[in-house]
Amino acid sequence: MSPFFVLIRKETYRFLTVPVQTIFGPMVTAFLYQLIFGSQFQHAQGSNVGFEYNTFLVPGLVMLQVLSNSFANSSSSIIQSKYTGNLVFILMAPLTAIELYGAYLISSIIRGILSGMAVFICIAWFGNLTWPHSWATVCYFLIFGSAITGGLGVIAGILSTKFDHLAASQTFVFTPLVYLAGVFYNVDNIKIPSLQIIAKLDPFLYVVDGFRHGLIHSFNSDVVFSIWFVGLFAVLINFIGYLLMRSGVNMKH
Amino acid sequence: MYILEIENVSKVYGTFSALENISFKIDAGDFVGLLGVNGAGKTTLISAISGINHFSGTIKVAGYDVITQEKLAKLSLGVVPQEIAFDPFLNVYQTLKFQSGLYGVQKNKEWIYEIMERMYLSDKANVKTKALSGGMKRRLMVAQALVHKPQVLILDEPTAGVDVEIRKNLWDFIKELNKKGHTILLTSHYLDEVEELCHKIIMIDKGKLVTQKTKADFISANEQLPTIVEIETQDGKFSDNLQSMIVNRIDNTYQLRLENNDQLLFVLNCLNAIEAKILNLNLNKPNLEDVFISYLKR
Repeated sequence: MSPFFVLIRKETYRFLTVPVQTIFGPMVTAFLYQLIFGSQFQHAQGSNVGFEYNTFLVPGLVMLQVLSNSFANSSSSIIQSKYTGNLVFILMAPLTAIELYGAYLISSIIRGILSGMAVFICIAWFGNLTWPHSWATVCYFLIFGSAITGGLGVIAGILSTKFDHLAASQTFVFTPLVYLAGVFYNVDNIKIPSLQIIAKLDPFLYVVDGFRHGLIHSFNSDVVFSIWFVGLFAVLINFIGYLLMRSGVNMKH
Repeated sequence: MYILEIENVSKVYGTFSALENISFKIDAGDFVGLLGVNGAGKTTLISAISGINHFSGTIKVAGYDVITQEKLAKLSLGVVPQEIAFDPFLNVYQTLKFQSGLYGVQKNKEWIYEIMERMYLSDKANVKTKALSGGMKRRLMVAQALVHKPQVLILDEPTAGVDVEIRKNLWDFIKELNKKGHTILLTSHYLDEVEELCHKIIMIDKGKLVTQKTKADFISANEQLPTIVEIETQDGKFSDNLQSMIVNRIDNTYQLRLENNDQLLFVLNCLNAIEAKILNLNLNKPNLEDVFISYLKR
């Protein structure tokens, strides 16, 4: 096994050793969201999502956990390695910057998808789900969505020199963007035009809508546009992340 | 063949120059001590060799440039960093197994068990690294540096916090590796260790190379350093002519500072003149520590 795959295995093993935090925690969180919001809004006037609200909510909550967990994986791994000093053993290993970056990214994607699958198993029965409309679309948005947040996690991990920095980026940037990306509601229902424009600038909206389209055949955003946008955004984010990794900023002295 | 080549290596942090045009070469199979006070630039230099520090100049490990042939250079190198580092998610065995994998080494279970045994970590194989004591963590770091049997082993103060017996056993192991052809570069504040183990001394101060010599040359080049002679006489009888040379007295034992070896004859003649009976006489030649301190004073 090449050093690259060993690092992927190590990073994957790392999150599997704490399943309460990485698998079961997201399941419980999603279950509670589904239970509370689903029961409250299932028959509410104005939810207007084109589906039963419970059905609409399932893909949103799955993608919420996919995005959150892939971000958490790379960002926490890097900042923790900085704190325990273990990062030097990774940096001293015969791995190129692209291999190092790729290993962190792929393990983040794996965690994102595993968490998403666990959440899906936990909450799918709430909705009126049938066989996915398009498996290819589902897989595309799972992989590229978690690649965006996995890449953002690497960037946050590299740029953060304290846990506080990471917490700030998570609390004030990442979480609002993910929660406002149409996980719980249809952004077309926002009555104030300026707010709707702002909501439509949220890149995660297209990840959530694209995934929802693949799973339940909804039409909140143009799917073709979402595919292009999410793909290009993933490439852009990961290119920036790779450049940061190669430069060694906040990692090498 | 030179296994480690450092050419005009410089490193600047803002306006502070941590390394200034350092150049030296180390022969394959050598055991070299890198000396310098805290902040002299030893760790900065080691970080540059390890690839975790940006620098200007050229560094080659086993003939491979650490920048342009990074992978090959890193495969030839094992480094024990000064700061304690560990992965809290892994136990001792897993740490060494994953570390082996990062160097592309598979199926080395026997070697891992051997280094765990030599580092006194066998009974901790299944213990999470975060539960280890400081000394154990440091020994684990030495083991990590050895998993891929590197041609060059760099030890940055590997025995800090390690107890005396295990330290001795660690050095026995490192000496064995050196005899098998591994090149060792060691920094330590225990100068007696450096004096006992190293064949060559490289000294840096304030980021500059001060000297590089074989250990014997390093010490013999400083024979002008004062020698301390200890003389125990019966009833503490001592010559007044020697009062200016006395640096210490414990009971009937006098410690005298000799500026050169010729003064010893003068001391003996003076004691003979007053018919003092000498019970014990010890001559302490300057050791590495004396030489090191004398360099720092220059």
